[in-house]
Amino acid sequence: MAGPIEQFEVKPLVEFGTVNVPVLGEQVIAITNSHVAMTIAFVGVVGFLTLATSGAKVVPGRMQAAGESLFGMVDNLANSIIGHEGRKYFPFAFTMFLMVLSMNLLGMFLTFTATSQLAVTATLGVLTFLTVVVIGFVKNGPGMLKLFWPSSAPLAIRWAVGLIELASFILRPATLALRLFGNMLGGHVALKIFAQFVVQLGAVAIVTGGLAYAFIPVAALSLGMVVAMTALEFLVAFLQAFVFTVLTCIYLNDVVNLGEGH
Amino acid sequence: MAITPTHDVQIPAHGDLHAETQAAAEHASGGLPQFEFQHWAGQIGYLLILFVILYVLVAKVFTPRLRKVMDERAQTIDSAIAAARSVQAEAAEQAEAARAEVEKARADARATAAAAKQRVTEEFNARLAADEAVVNARIAEAESAIAKTRDAAMTNVATIAADAAGAMLDRLTGSKATDAELAAAIKGAV
Repeated sequence: MAGPIEQFEVKPLVEFGTVNVPVLGEQVIAITNSHVAMTIAFVGVVGFLTLATSGAKVVPGRMQAAGESLFGMVDNLANSIIGHEGRKYFPFAFTMFLMVLSMNLLGMFLTFTATSQLAVTATLGVLTFLTVVVIGFVKNGPGMLKLFWPSSAPLAIRWAVGLIELASFILRPATLALRLFGNMLGGHVALKIFAQFVVQLGAVAIVTGGLAYAFIPVAALSLGMVVAMTALEFLVAFLQAFVFTVLTCIYLNDVVNLGEGH
Repeated sequence: MAITPTHDVQIPAHGDLHAETQAAAEHASGGLPQFEFQHWAGQIGYLLILFVILYVLVAKVFTPRLRKVMDERAQTIDSAIAAARSVQAEAAEQAEAARAEVEKARADARATAAAAKQRVTEEFNARLAADEAVVNARIAEAESAIAKTRDAAMTNVATIAADAAGAMLDRLTGSKATDAELAAAIKGAV
């Protein structure tokens, strides 16, 4: 039986060869199961949005209502956090939300979860971070650095607070990436382990017989855990996408409304 | 402990099914497959491409579509509410007009009733006065008739007294008195 972390292996399906990339070293250029999962998630999102918005009516149908509820949720988020400029940054937040949500949810149906790959979550985290930095400098110019000069702090410790602010700012991509990565990894590992218990303990009980029948209730308990955790993982899949989006909005707000009190 | 054999037996069997290179890589790093970097660039590049495409689609196609229909809905609702408000205002206006009309009709009715009452009272008073005049005239007539009758009766009383006095004198004394004497005699008495 496969180990609980084998599900995270990236397997090439079609290989094109290798290239040498400075930081990462030897890189395999291939269509892997990760690419397949991302593609399915992407196609799912585009298909869903197409169904939801093609022939959109004032009185919505089912798909449109579903699309509008997601749209409205992120729209409210962007508007309430960023304010009147929220509409401008809504597409980024919505794209991020849909990408993360679709890849998370797809992991509940496939054996491979794209968002359990650190490469994927790090990309999204760094992408958010760089977007925030670029928007910050474009909007505020050098004034962007005021983010690390907290004028509300007493002058004596302002530099220290500023350093802490800077450190927390620089750590943002890492926290974004690791939070999502850790949630997806942990959830799927735990699911796999409990699922293995069901089969292994059950098999041992049946093959060995005798005292080993005592494993049957444990296997049944594990099955119950798998069911409960599957429900929990669906919640986590949604929640992590939501958290990622909320943080994206908060980080954008920091630089969009810089110096307007936060 | 009975689990271990099953595990050990199955791992190589599974490993054979898949690429040996991966099994080797896994054993080499001994950690999570996510920390083997040979597939990072491919995933990162592909994810960025997908993200950019999705961003463009969301920003240029899906968001405008949904915004349009949502704005349209908001507009429809607003106009419906405005229409309802105006209809309500109109209804209130009409109710006000109806009330004013009723008020006016009531006032008219009251005026008519008052006028009728006054007219009736006047008529009554006039008739009363006329009747009173007739009655008074009749009373006066009757009074004058009574006075006349009394006068006549009083005259007759003098004649009867004179006759009675003459008769009594004749019966008592046997002498006859003249009418002039009798009249003079009773004049003070009657």
